Amino acid sequence: MLALVARRLLTAIPTLLGIILVSFVLMKLAPGGPFDGERPLAPETRAALQSAYGLDRPIWEQAWIYVSRLVQGDFGPSLVYRDFTVTELVAQGLPVSLTLGGLAVILAMLVGVSLGLLAAIRAGQATDKAIMMLATVATALPTFVTGPALALFLGLWLGLLLVSGRGDGVAWLIMPVTALALPVAGAIAKLTRAGLASVLKQDHIRTARARGLPESRILLRHGLRPSLVPVASYLGPAAAGLLTGAVVVETVFGLPGLGRYFVQGALNRDYPLVLGVVTIYAALIILFNLFADLIYGWLDPRMRES
Amino acid sequence: MSLYEIRDLGIMIGDNRLVEGVDLDVRAGECTAIIGASGSGKSLTCLTPFGLTPGRFSGQVLLDGRDLANAAAAQLREARSQLAGFVFQQPLTALTPHLTVGAQLHEATTQAGGPRPSRSELARQLERVGLSRADERLDQFPHRLSGGERQRVMIAAAIAHDPKLLIADEPTSALDATLRREIMNLLDRLRAEQGLGLLLVSHDLAAVADHANQLVVMDKGRVVERGPAASLIAEPQEDVTRELIAAIPDLNEPPPRLPPVGDRQLVAEALTVSFPRPGWRRGTIQALVDADFEVGEGEALAIVGGSGSGKSTLGRAIAGIGPVTAGTIRWKGEELPERRGRSQRMRKLVQPVFQDPVASLDPQWTVADIIAEPLGFLRPDMLPEERIEKIRDLLGKVGLSEDQAERFPASLSGGQAQRVAIARALAADPDMLVLDEATSALDPLIGSGILQLLGELRDSNRLSILFITHDIAAARRLCHRVIVLDEGWIVECGDMETVITDPQSAVTRKLVAAS
Amino acid sequence: MKRILRLRHWPLWTVFLLVGLALILPFVLPWSHEQIDWDAVRAPAFTGSHIFGTDDIGRDRLARLMAGTQITVMVAVAAALVSLVIGIAWGATAGWIGGRVDEAMMRFVDALYALPFMFIVILLMVIFGRSILLVFVGIGLVEWLTMARVVRGQVMALKERPFILAAEAAGAPPLAIILRHILPNIAGVALAYLMLTIPQVVMVESFLSFLGLGVQEPLTSLGILVKEGADDMDMAPLGLFLPGGVLVLILVCLTIEGERLRDVYS
Repeated sequence: MLALVARRLLTAIPTLLGIILVSFVLMKLAPGGPFDGERPLAPETRAALQSAYGLDRPIWEQAWIYVSRLVQGDFGPSLVYRDFTVTELVAQGLPVSLTLGGLAVILAMLVGVSLGLLAAIRAGQATDKAIMMLATVATALPTFVTGPALALFLGLWLGLLLVSGRGDGVAWLIMPVTALALPVAGAIAKLTRAGLASVLKQDHIRTARARGLPESRILLRHGLRPSLVPVASYLGPAAAGLLTGAVVVETVFGLPGLGRYFVQGALNRDYPLVLGVVTIYAALIILFNLFADLIYGWLDPRMRES
Repeated sequence: MSLYEIRDLGIMIGDNRLVEGVDLDVRAGECTAIIGASGSGKSLTCLTPFGLTPGRFSGQVLLDGRDLANAAAAQLREARSQLAGFVFQQPLTALTPHLTVGAQLHEATTQAGGPRPSRSELARQLERVGLSRADERLDQFPHRLSGGERQRVMIAAAIAHDPKLLIADEPTSALDATLRREIMNLLDRLRAEQGLGLLLVSHDLAAVADHANQLVVMDKGRVVERGPAASLIAEPQEDVTRELIAAIPDLNEPPPRLPPVGDRQLVAEALTVSFPRPGWRRGTIQALVDADFEVGEGEALAIVGGSGSGKSTLGRAIAGIGPVTAGTIRWKGEELPERRGRSQRMRKLVQPVFQDPVASLDPQWTVADIIAEPLGFLRPDMLPEERIEKIRDLLGKVGLSEDQAERFPASLSGGQAQRVAIARALAADPDMLVLDEATSALDPLIGSGILQLLGELRDSNRLSILFITHDIAAARRLCHRVIVLDEGWIVECGDMETVITDPQSAVTRKLVAAS
Repeated sequence: MKRILRLRHWPLWTVFLLVGLALILPFVLPWSHEQIDWDAVRAPAFTGSHIFGTDDIGRDRLARLMAGTQITVMVAVAAALVSLVIGIAWGATAGWIGGRVDEAMMRFVDALYALPFMFIVILLMVIFGRSILLVFVGIGLVEWLTMARVVRGQVMALKERPFILAAEAAGAPPLAIILRHILPNIAGVALAYLMLTIPQVVMVESFLSFLGLGVQEPLTSLGILVKEGADDMDMAPLGLFLPGGVLVLILVCLTIEGERLRDVYS
């Protein structure tokens, strides 16, 4: 188990490094830079600024300097938010994004698995069909539609919740987390239902039934765990989906998360900021995939070997 | 007084009546076996009264005095939980993959309301079914055990709550021959020790004959014959029973009359095949090492061995659909290169037939197109009318009717699909067929029909045959000579009767004993 | 063809109907999607010839909706085809050759799966300008991974099937085997996943456009319309609901149809 974690973490390092370098080179290839403002700068000022930020050195040297500072936790200065370092911005934004994403995953798992289970128990009946239709619609709901729609209903029309910003308490979380969790919950419900349907046809379920166990015990003890394998393999893509979704909800609801910094940085060609956020995102996704792998082993011991 | 009594059982699934008028008795401490080909309704008969199939049943079913026919779902569940234990065919999938052996045994023991067993009691249950290192195995997951070990765990779990009746649905069909005997002996012992009634289901009459007290032969959902095992086998009254007995190749049966062998045709010298190891590891796996043999005109040569012995690799190399690492294959003195190196004229000489008949046919093609495929490449000289005539001719030759030409493989039975595959192999008029376990996936009855067809082809067309199999008794019905392979090496080679009566190597002795 | 006409394919027909409307209506409507009606700024529905009214600067909502649907669907189909071609080529090559080539090719796909791809696409958009061509090439480049995995799995499984070996023994050259046995047998699955890729692409394109990184004015897409509607939703909720509704409808219908096809073929 530990060996697996260690091996996966070791292979994650080159992947992460690759992502950083590719993004770094891409940014450097871009025409236009952060100092192309409305008024052209005087050549001397421009040169001074460039050398101050190390932009006049060869690209590989810049990359090397960047990576070696990164290892020490230094993401460099932000070019747009001049008073902050990228590290500070990330430290500020990450907790917000993690709270949103983490709560959304938990909510989606709870709702998705229980609805999927209910649908599988009532297979073929109206409940099953209704849940599956609902889940299909939920998976097709883009956050950038549900986000504004929720804000319109709950915020503007009913006046229950703040449309923008955080205010006091935790009420600000309700709408963004719901918008984020909906499509994921739908997908998990579908996967759970399909997984259970195929597991319940397997031989070991017949053995359990032949043993005279009550149906509920057959379902929960013998059926549920292997049927969650597809759900576990969906967690990786789900994490990526939640991160992109977070970009939208943070923009829509005016929350100071990583996603908003990313969009701002991208639109303003703030290289260090964008690179920093991409690095964090990549690391998060890799960690999440590792987590999914560990869950696999628990769900189905046969997978521990390979 | 019977422990388990069935009178006039009828079973419906949907609107189809699949079983009708079945009577059956199982006495305490005795074994009743239901025998039949697949589709005869034998599994339905023993599982449906317990609510384990989607079917509905009518008639009278009494287990230890309890009426199952009029029982509610909860009572059926109770009957399963208290009075009966079940063993199924596939030990690979019949145990829950994410629960340890100990957890499943524990559940099996306590579900009928028994006291919580201690660890040593659980270990004793495993020892009772002949598993060594029982304590260690309690913590293992099922996939860590071998097929035979898993089936023993299945049996231990089935009798953990001391049931009165054990129902075993093809308990040994997925195991190899040596294990079969061991598991059957174990069932015999448990029956004697605990006074268990055993209801056994099998398609293999020979395997259960020595272990059952009563035999019930089923065909198309009805009982065709019943009686004490010994007398029924000695003097079968019905054709169905006789066919079932005759279908199973047996080394005690008289040797077949084989036609004389013609000139030498195929010669393989120092044939060697090795594969790179999977993944990024270095080195190679030797699948076949220095094989020398020859096949004459009209001769059938059996290649016999266990799984992983290299017999399929050998067959593919000869048929030109697998790699050759070293050595030569000659046809009447002319060298046949490997795979892509073979010209169309050489391909025409040797044609293959495979084990899984359904997978050997492209599901998107019609039977006629499948049979015609080799004609297009190997017989470009044929006119379209000649081809149609040829396809009709081939269908007749393999015992299929002409109206099957436009059907798709999905609508064929296993035996029909294998006949189509043989027709395709014969289409280009080859001189030799390579049959890779061509009868193993089929029911004994259908398999013996295919064997008979092959024998006729061997004689009428003077075809050479390379018959690859793990079943030496089946090979004996067709083949002049036999080669025994083990881990890529030829360990024995000779005349079929000589090898069977006087096997030289341990591997051969094992194969002969298992048949 | 007959099979598609059945009633149970209503989701497909809904999408066809929408696309048909999006193609025809622009020729019929009196207003183009960028034309400003100075007399009817923020007009409510059914004002004069504006069936759904006009937006905050007086452009006809229906005309914009149809133009947006056109672009979104066009980008989606084009990008899905790009992903189909790359996915089949990559997956079939890996599966057919097998061994170490396959292993290396699929490791590459695995590695790409672990990437925060949406962000790389955003980077590309920022860096190389926001042309519509780049939008669908970029998205196609992202969405081929699943197709490659599925096709590779199918080819691997098919390659081991004895009927492929039988075809070789029947003298069929490799190209004939691929064209006559392999491709027809993966066509169904590939079609199903193509159908499932389209909603994915619609989602990505709309997301980019919503952020202002996708399709650019004067062109419009459903994503842009949703963004405009969201900015003005307190005044005119119709501006959000119309494009949002059409978008969700397309996504739902294609997902249902695609999942049905997938269940049939796998």
